[in-house]
Amino acid sequence: MPVTRKKTLAAVAALSATALILTGCSADGGSSDDNVLRIAMGSPGEAQIRVWDDVAAQYEAANPDVTVEMNYQDDDLYQTIGLPNLLNGRNAPDIYFEWAGARLEQRAADGFAADLTEAVTSGPIAGLFDDEVFTSLTVDGAVVMVPHSADVTNVLWYNEDIFADAGLTPPTTWAELLDTCDALNAEGIIPIASGNKDLWAAGNWLAHLTSRVVGEEAYSSALAGDTDFNTPEWIEAFGYVEELADHNCVNESVNAVDDNEGAQLFFQGKAAMHAIGSWLVSWAIDEAPDLNFDYVNLPAMPGEGNQESVIGVVTGYVVNAKSTKQDEAAEFLALLNSDENVQQFIGAELTPMTLSAASGEDIDSRTASLTSLLETAPAIVLPPDNGYDLETANALYAALAEVLGGQSSPADAVAGIDQKLG
Amino acid sequence: MKPNRTVTPYLFLVPAMAVFGFAVLFPVIMTFAYSFTEWNGYGAMVFVGIDNYVKAAQDVLFRDSFVHVLIYIAITIVLEVVVGLVLAGLVSVRRRGSLWFRVAIFTPVMLPMVVVAVLWAFVYNNDFGLLNAALQTLGLEDLQRVWLGDTSTALIAVSVVSGWVYAGFYMTIFYAAFNQVPTEVIEAARLDGAGEWQLFRRIKVPMIRNAITVALLLCITGGFQGFDLFYVMTNGGPYGATEIPTTYLVKSVFTFQNVGYGSAMAVVLTVVVVGLGLIFTRVNREKPEEVRS
Repeated sequence: MPVTRKKTLAAVAALSATALILTGCSADGGSSDDNVLRIAMGSPGEAQIRVWDDVAAQYEAANPDVTVEMNYQDDDLYQTIGLPNLLNGRNAPDIYFEWAGARLEQRAADGFAADLTEAVTSGPIAGLFDDEVFTSLTVDGAVVMVPHSADVTNVLWYNEDIFADAGLTPPTTWAELLDTCDALNAEGIIPIASGNKDLWAAGNWLAHLTSRVVGEEAYSSALAGDTDFNTPEWIEAFGYVEELADHNCVNESVNAVDDNEGAQLFFQGKAAMHAIGSWLVSWAIDEAPDLNFDYVNLPAMPGEGNQESVIGVVTGYVVNAKSTKQDEAAEFLALLNSDENVQQFIGAELTPMTLSAASGEDIDSRTASLTSLLETAPAIVLPPDNGYDLETANALYAALAEVLGGQSSPADAVAGIDQKLG
Repeated sequence: MKPNRTVTPYLFLVPAMAVFGFAVLFPVIMTFAYSFTEWNGYGAMVFVGIDNYVKAAQDVLFRDSFVHVLIYIAITIVLEVVVGLVLAGLVSVRRRGSLWFRVAIFTPVMLPMVVVAVLWAFVYNNDFGLLNAALQTLGLEDLQRVWLGDTSTALIAVSVVSGWVYAGFYMTIFYAAFNQVPTEVIEAARLDGAGEWQLFRRIKVPMIRNAITVALLLCITGGFQGFDLFYVMTNGGPYGATEIPTTYLVKSVFTFQNVGYGSAMAVVLTVVVVGLGLIFTRVNREKPEEVRS
């Protein structure tokens, strides 16, 4: 028996050693030193992919010894495990998409964000952007991201035809919003469509609402983990979400359908309003070309916050600090933001943040208006899932969903957030 | 030359053992090791002892996820194993013409689970779905629900889809087992005046007891492995009502990047599944002895 046991142990040890050798596991990851410039992002949609592929072709034509490899991942996958996996892999991207805020700071802290200060002040990217845009893209005194677009995360889109037929005007105050919900319900029309199965869709909208009530500072400090959620101000803010539920402002299926299904209610004219971000423009043009729609910012709330605040986030591209091709990456980003390519992006319903984009003539009026809304906003609120820790954001989203679905009272939901976060 | 009989058998085992070590053993060992750390998957790994296990023990959502999966398993035992058994009984009574029926029942098994989940999400959709539309057409508006958005129906709704898929799978297993029952036993029972129901209950089912045991074991362990239906149809919602251990640990690892905590949950889940499997096997090993005694 002892001999058998020894053999078994030896076999297991040999097996484990073989497995270790086979896997050759490395936690450091890193960029290859071949002639491939790797670029990773969540899929930006067919129209913008065509532009990206064209920019890649332009770069390859100008640099025949370099191949550009584009990696378009599913959005949700990229945002969660996709990017960390890529950064940790053997062929890590040299350039990758990122959101400004906590995520960007984390990338810099983990050593995945190269210092681009020189590139944007005196290098190939210099002069392409207004210097002010780099403020939110600077970590520890170093510019670590080249901006691409500024997304308004949430506004209230409305169907102009339904509003005209019902004799309604877009709501600008909280009371008007509730009255509009009542009027639309009386007509048999869903007031606001939302697909909140994954929690972020209504979560971002209602997070903005709470920021208007508790104030931007209290909002930010609670999401940053510096203060508790369980305060009278947050309970009051959640009380307004309960009012939305009481007035049947959202579709009954809100927490059962995803953002795509929520949007379909709006596209098909079953819902009069839809609370979602600036990306709806190109989406609606593709899927509901006859839809006559426009937007209003979140109606003014009774509360401490700035009632003209806008929820939004700057997105852009980071050069991997571990890349051996940082100079080539900076040159690629300069080419990406050249006048010609900026016009191509505008044609694909995306307005880059370059100075040259402002003079573009083909920008959709709603997209231009949204860009202006963000640029002139007296206060910008960061969406929880992009600007703060994801677990905290999720706890807030889940609590908001519970109140919106009539599952919890505001006091219980708010207490539950602190409990969940420990 | 005399062959070395001590080493040769092990050499033949090396390829299979290397694959097993790479695909099973190594991940299991690493998952166990990660469970004692706090790690986001790529940054610095910090040893935290048994903190993740303490956290798992105090995590209400994790605890609830086991309750949900047990309810799911209980429902699927009825909808998959029992219904599969009944369907197999029906098709074995009249074999002529049953081929198309068997193919129709088995077809859902061949569909990718993600496709099934998306299809059924549309069926259950409150606004555009087939189910609510059918209820309205039949004048049963009172029965309309937001099937996947109501805490009282979401878990059952997902379980029904699982039953729809796997009832055909178990029917096939039982049908094959019924075919192994000796015809002379059936004929003897018929001569003794047994009807189809008595044949099914007193002859066929007892004689395929081993197949039923395997089916139950597959259903229980498969239930713990359930993921895709839940992930696509409800993503653990509404309000955590369909959160099961696999969806919860995947969220922990892939969404929140808590690899250490997710690994601890995976270890707990593995221990529970292996433990249940051992108990189940033990119980079923003991029963024949009881019968004999």
